[in-house]
Amino acid sequence: MACHCENNPIETQEAMIARVDALIDRIGTSRQIIIPLLQALQEEFSYLPSEAVERIYERTEIDRAQLISVSTFYSQFRHIPYGKHLIKVCTGTACHVKGAGNVYDSFRRELKMEDDSITTADQLFSIEKIACLGCCTLAPVVQIDEKIYGHVLPGKVNEVIEDFLAQIEKKEQASAPNALRQVAGEIRLGMGSCCQASGSADILKELHTASAELGIEVNIKSVGCVGVCNKVPLIDVVLPDGTVTRYPNVKAAEIKEILYHHFQPAGRLKQLKNKLFNQIDTFHTDTTWENVIWKTEAERTGVIDRFLSGQKHISTEGYGFLAPLNLEEYTESGGFEGLKKVLASGNRQEVIESILSSGIRGRGGGGFTTGKKWEIVAASEKEEKYVICNGDEGDPGAFMDRMMLESYPFRIIEGMLIAGYAVGADKGIFYVRAEYPLAVVRIRTAIELCRAQNLIGEDIAGSDFSFDISIFEGAGAFVCGEETALIASIEGERGFPKQRPPYPAIEGLYGKPTLVNNVETLSQIPYILRNGADYYNRIGTDHSKGTKVFALAGKVRHGGLIEVPMGVTLNQIIHEIGGGVEGGEQLKAVQIGGPSGGCIPAHLCDVQVDFDAFNQMGAMMGSGGLVVLSESDCMVDMARYFLSFTCEQSCGKCTFCRVGIRRMLDILDKICSGKAVMEDIDKLEELALNVKKSSLCGLGKTAPNPVLTTLKYFRHEYEEHVNGRCKTGTCKEMVKFVVTEDCIGCTKCAKACPVEAIPYAPYEVHTINVEDCVLCGLCIDECKYNAIQKVSICN
Amino acid sequence: MQLTINNTAVEIREGETILEAARRVGYTIPSLCYAPGARHKSSCMVCAVRNTANGQIIPSCTTYPTDGMQIDTENEEVKLVRTLSLELLLSDHKADCEAPCSMVCPKGLDVERMLAYYDTGEMEKAHLLIAAAFALPEVGCTDCKAPCEKACRRGSIDQAVAIREIIQDVIARSTETPGQEGQPIPKNDKNQYYSRLGRFTAKEKERLKETVTTPSRCLHCACAGRTDCKLRRYATAEGIKRPRYEASTALPVMEKQQISEHLWFEPAKCIRCGLCVYNSTNGFTFQDRGFGMQVVLPEANRSHIGDEFAALCPTGAIYLKENESWK
Repeated sequence: MACHCENNPIETQEAMIARVDALIDRIGTSRQIIIPLLQALQEEFSYLPSEAVERIYERTEIDRAQLISVSTFYSQFRHIPYGKHLIKVCTGTACHVKGAGNVYDSFRRELKMEDDSITTADQLFSIEKIACLGCCTLAPVVQIDEKIYGHVLPGKVNEVIEDFLAQIEKKEQASAPNALRQVAGEIRLGMGSCCQASGSADILKELHTASAELGIEVNIKSVGCVGVCNKVPLIDVVLPDGTVTRYPNVKAAEIKEILYHHFQPAGRLKQLKNKLFNQIDTFHTDTTWENVIWKTEAERTGVIDRFLSGQKHISTEGYGFLAPLNLEEYTESGGFEGLKKVLASGNRQEVIESILSSGIRGRGGGGFTTGKKWEIVAASEKEEKYVICNGDEGDPGAFMDRMMLESYPFRIIEGMLIAGYAVGADKGIFYVRAEYPLAVVRIRTAIELCRAQNLIGEDIAGSDFSFDISIFEGAGAFVCGEETALIASIEGERGFPKQRPPYPAIEGLYGKPTLVNNVETLSQIPYILRNGADYYNRIGTDHSKGTKVFALAGKVRHGGLIEVPMGVTLNQIIHEIGGGVEGGEQLKAVQIGGPSGGCIPAHLCDVQVDFDAFNQMGAMMGSGGLVVLSESDCMVDMARYFLSFTCEQSCGKCTFCRVGIRRMLDILDKICSGKAVMEDIDKLEELALNVKKSSLCGLGKTAPNPVLTTLKYFRHEYEEHVNGRCKTGTCKEMVKFVVTEDCIGCTKCAKACPVEAIPYAPYEVHTINVEDCVLCGLCIDECKYNAIQKVSICN
Repeated sequence: MQLTINNTAVEIREGETILEAARRVGYTIPSLCYAPGARHKSSCMVCAVRNTANGQIIPSCTTYPTDGMQIDTENEEVKLVRTLSLELLLSDHKADCEAPCSMVCPKGLDVERMLAYYDTGEMEKAHLLIAAAFALPEVGCTDCKAPCEKACRRGSIDQAVAIREIIQDVIARSTETPGQEGQPIPKNDKNQYYSRLGRFTAKEKERLKETVTTPSRCLHCACAGRTDCKLRRYATAEGIKRPRYEASTALPVMEKQQISEHLWFEPAKCIRCGLCVYNSTNGFTFQDRGFGMQVVLPEANRSHIGDEFAALCPTGAIYLKENESWK
């Protein structure tokens, strides 16, 4: 038990133990609370110090075996101290196809990190890769502490670091008071996580400053996710007569002009002054002319209208209008009507029948009929039952659940209450990823607000139905999206899936019948009850009803969060809503369903959004990540990318998943480095089929899908790789950079090269030293004459 | 209730799994992560069977029969799954069943065993072994070209064990005249599966150089638990010579931990079935996840582990020293 404290170790150790004791007193001493306790410990000390851990053994039921088992299973827990600031490089699908690997390498180079270390020598920064920050439309994305940077290019990482350090020095002053009296209209601004990442917070601040400066008293309202992620920050100006003017991609500098345009300042003198200053501004600077307000209506919102035209909002009803935590507003717009209807009728069986006849299927991936699940739980005679909302969305490239939890917490709570009533449960648990801090805060607040209105607690809304809801924060394990693993983690164990049967619906949390429903599934429930099952049933295809929320990202022009009725085709989504492939490239495939899903080739993209149609193609609805891939994406690399994700996330329990996926990855690595032979492709296929067949849980059973679908539709690409060619130049081990005759010797590439692989030779055709080159691509970006090209090593 | 196993109806007893029922009526189903009467969770998939009613491959050791199940324990698909799971486990199992020196000795001397006696100072026993192998023990094997020393793994770290010199030393120090009735020498069965450790990494070499300091400097590559190793037995039965997959492991190769007086633990030989974890209280535990997941025994927990765990372990990862295969 080594103490790392430098001065006065005894006293500091005592102080530490006192801090640990305080946490234990607050959280508890039973084995089940290990995850919340470790989370609190880490929040307190920023890692799990061994002295603190020893104290846990002394004071709680948690023993050494359990603590080692749990704390090393979940990726959230750290056993060594980190640097002062943590850089998280997102390696989600969208970021991966846009070069996140190079960004990570650039950060390491820029911060001069040694081989294996993850912390800089001065202990200022630590760096880690993270599965997905859920800001896919801003890819590649990097988060430093709380601040998110979008569109980070490998050549710009020094600017990002500088900006971050400068921002720390500034130490933001207290934000302007926001208690302005509403006099005329309001301004709505989306404040979801990704909106904030693209600068909405700055816009909000500017709105307050500008309105104060202009003397305008207008209500500024932060609403939830607006979905149009590629057009944020987006503000809606609502005038007293109800007309809405929409401004996409606003910049802080434009705010004043917009406000001035729509609202008249209060006093006469101020009006005059403003007019004068504004005139002068207009003459002196030309920036005012480019202001978004001078653009035509079509120019401003044409794209957004097209983006929204094919959508249908059920889960995201009231989007761009509802303030996430305004209970009154939610109730006024039809919220809790479904619940009240159900409570008034007092017939549980009727509710289940409604859900059954609505035809809704679970949105978590498998597509099991929701009503069936409810029926099984309701049929159990046992006294205690649980409802768990599965918000452990871990797919790289998916952020629907996060957005819904952040933007429509009341809707999901209502869905859970209805479910709880129908199945006869009295306890609900929100299982939310710890990586979604804003979602956790919003749900927590929403629960409190509901409790105050007697919508949660004893005898809800005057009925005899009592239901309590708590939150459990996941600790970072993709496998916990699997319901039995999720339950194991709530029970304080490592997230090992259990053999089914018995299904959780019969024997779940603490052995009690447990209904586990996905966030999106629950968010559709209130709509069904409010409007009737028949009404809902009309939306969708024969066997897939309702709407589906997708995170549209990758090489698409207008990415974002969309909700479409089942039955629209992938082509409609990509071309009509998404505006086609970015940069005028050809569509190659759509990756759907993340690491459990597959790649659907372009020629099959007229397939309808439908559970069974996707399954037949070898893909899967999954949780709803939809990543568009263009001609410049390598499908073998795509398969390898997803497999390396599942390999890292495998729980390690069964042979086929633990070792099988690793061996598949070995073969793919071999293929991607051009060292494979043709038989390796068959070997890969055989192994993939058997891993799919013989793994014990959903993670392992679906992990081979990305490999199997690419083998099915893009086998020629695998063969090309075996023959030593990666057409797209993605697989680094098979390409090199060369300078062509077009080089004029401007030395820009030499200056840009981070590893000095290009000798500084003015007015001469440059050369690239292949041994030193790390293929980061900075020189290609820098060269104005298109004189550096990727070529296959074989040729 | 009745269950159909290989087209024959079998009466199921209360609380019986498919594996237990099938074995009871005489079918052979291999299994690693299952031990009768012990707590377990399926993981190895060596006991896979097929439910022909729905075409699913299921682990028979934890699945309870349900209505309409039709179990096939023998078909090609099942056999392939079993072979693959063994091959996958072996590809992650960097351990030697037999020591290379013993494998190559033209006289069939179990060199590793002899060196083990040498290291514990049991010169008589060492001498007996030599006497049984060589017609003229006094002469030893000075004329031999010593393939044993060429095969010696220690050679890849620093220098091969001086096997011939040690043999001379044993002969010289032995006072007893060699009797004709030395122990019978078990010949290595060429049909038996034997895994190969492969090359050490630079790190492993460094560690082994520092930690293995017994008189002979022998690494004792031969697996002490090889005779009752189920992994080896099944691999032999399936005719696996060497796994078709690239071998690599995240486990610490050739690390030996003494749990108690006779009980030893070698993490690299573990197949992560978890039997020792599920059946100990605050004893063995899992660490990390995925391919890097390992079973560890924290030092403070060693006292919670009794000798019975050696019998529970399906491989030679937990073994009793005094119970080594050759005794």
